[in-house]
Amino acid sequence: MADTERNGTARVAASLAAMVALLAMPAMSSPSAPELETRVSALEAELRELKAQLAALRAATPAPQNVATPAAPPTPAAVALESAAGGEAGAGRPPLTWFGYGELSYTRPTGDPGQARADLGRFVIGAGYRFDERTRLQSEIEIEHAVSSASDPGEVEIEQAYIEHELGRDVRARAGLFLIPSGLLNENHEPTRYYGVFRNSIETAIIPTTWREGGIGLQGLTRSGLRWDAGVTTGFDLSRWDAASGDGADSPLGSIHQELALARAAQLSVYLAANYTGVNGLRIGASVFTGGASQRQPGLPDCRVTLWEGHARWQPGAWDFSALYARGRISNTAPFNLALAGNATLVPETFFGGYLEAAWRARVGRAWPFVPFLRVERFNTGAAYAYLGPGLTPAARPDQTAYTGGLQLEFAPGVIFKADYVDFTDGNSLDRFDLGLGYEF
Amino acid sequence: MNSEPLPWRWVGGCTLALIAPAPAVVAAEYLSVAAAQRAVFPEATGFEPVALQLTPAQRQELTMLAGPQPPRGRLAVWRVLGPAGALGFFFTDEVVGRQDFIDYALGINTDGTLRTPEIMSYRESHGGEIRNGAWRGQFAHRHDGATLRPALDIRNIAGATLSCAHVTAGVRYLVSIWQVALQGAAETAR
Repeated sequence: MADTERNGTARVAASLAAMVALLAMPAMSSPSAPELETRVSALEAELRELKAQLAALRAATPAPQNVATPAAPPTPAAVALESAAGGEAGAGRPPLTWFGYGELSYTRPTGDPGQARADLGRFVIGAGYRFDERTRLQSEIEIEHAVSSASDPGEVEIEQAYIEHELGRDVRARAGLFLIPSGLLNENHEPTRYYGVFRNSIETAIIPTTWREGGIGLQGLTRSGLRWDAGVTTGFDLSRWDAASGDGADSPLGSIHQELALARAAQLSVYLAANYTGVNGLRIGASVFTGGASQRQPGLPDCRVTLWEGHARWQPGAWDFSALYARGRISNTAPFNLALAGNATLVPETFFGGYLEAAWRARVGRAWPFVPFLRVERFNTGAAYAYLGPGLTPAARPDQTAYTGGLQLEFAPGVIFKADYVDFTDGNSLDRFDLGLGYEF
Repeated sequence: MNSEPLPWRWVGGCTLALIAPAPAVVAAEYLSVAAAQRAVFPEATGFEPVALQLTPAQRQELTMLAGPQPPRGRLAVWRVLGPAGALGFFFTDEVVGRQDFIDYALGINTDGTLRTPEIMSYRESHGGEIRNGAWRGQFAHRHDGATLRPALDIRNIAGATLSCAHVTAGVRYLVSIWQVALQGAAETAR
């Protein structure tokens, strides 16, 4: 059809050009009556030929229901609509796209106001690049705590840098540094997407959000709402465990992750995840990640890290309910811990956590910028330790329970103000009041 | 439980999957314009392109009606003809999801009710769940297209929040165009 149209259009254009040329013959001298008659005759002939060509073109054009003919472009006065031209969707788009997010916070422990801190916690710039319609780069660079130098607390990190390639309509592959599909936050960690000034304790202490590994992965998505992920990646390195510090007690896996920084890769890990969103407002899913953590280093016992979790989010109208449970295990830790006996923080055998959260979006006019929320969390970063013998085996840590209540105000699209109060039930040493400002674009 | 040998079989399998030749399709594009027209208006006998030209007053009304909008790309409109006369209007539109454009198509019947939108192209790593038939089906038969609110009127997909919100805003924009500039034409055609 396209060729027919093009050929017909060319013929018509040639005829029109001939007519215009004929009409435009300069009137350098007044034509005589016979000359005028000749010209009129020529015009009549051209007109007959033009009509015949148009008729042929119409006859060769298929039924209109299959025609996605571009409309004529609007006049400049119609700029309110970017364009009324149809044609190839997405053609001519700049391949480079940008995005970013950031968060600032003020936190004031109620039991120890002297420890109040203000912080530019994260400043993130991301870029995407489309090499072609099936292949793209996704990248994200983050600066934490404003200044990164040997004498400052900040860090510069690459959070994501991977190539993604569409293998078909519903399956894609990726290779590089990417986020592990674990929990509700890890892949959606921007401050506008979670409740509270800081990320919840479970998806910080148990799932080490923002958790990324280097490797290759596959992702499938069906129109019925099932998304599955599988892949092989780098994993954890037990030799990073610092028994003298409290990092392992804050987040066992967060203290031994490698983030693809000269990551030891003698032992790789695998992950599987599934999420179902086929019912409007519902997301329900689970994931498991497992792999060796000794990385075959001399002196380290052969151990394995396994983390699994299940989650659900239900958003009926103005309400937003979330639930998540995660449990981790590090096997064969006894030989490692035995060598570290007497230190403050030994490697736990199991750790776990879960939370329930409810939020309600208050409507103001056409928007719903006010969101009060409440969350209850229970977690333990040292729920059990491998038996080392009488007097050497560390006691399990007590479970921690925290209640967080707060309010969020999205005062511009993508810009959010947050305030919350966190109350730990095992004493007020960690209780705190937080203020935050977050954005995403 | 001790760790097992390196899962090289997994590595090999996934590597093969990565380097294997992909099907000869433009994978990000799920529907062409013609295919989207057939999907949204299967009973149509013709699509006539419409060149929209809004007056300043209409533009102002459109801005007020449609509310906050994401960055958008190109927009095209067709009048849809059926065996017994006009069926409505068919739109293609492009809105930014998080960082790249989502191409989608929407049909508006002559009485202003919506037809199920179709996702024509999705180009981002996350958020492609908006292709779910159940999510798109929330728009069908609605009379209140110009006032739709993401999450409240059109339920959200957690993990695809921006895509859901921006396509919903885009639909609001298209229905507002229909109200401002096309509704009269539809009534005339009837």
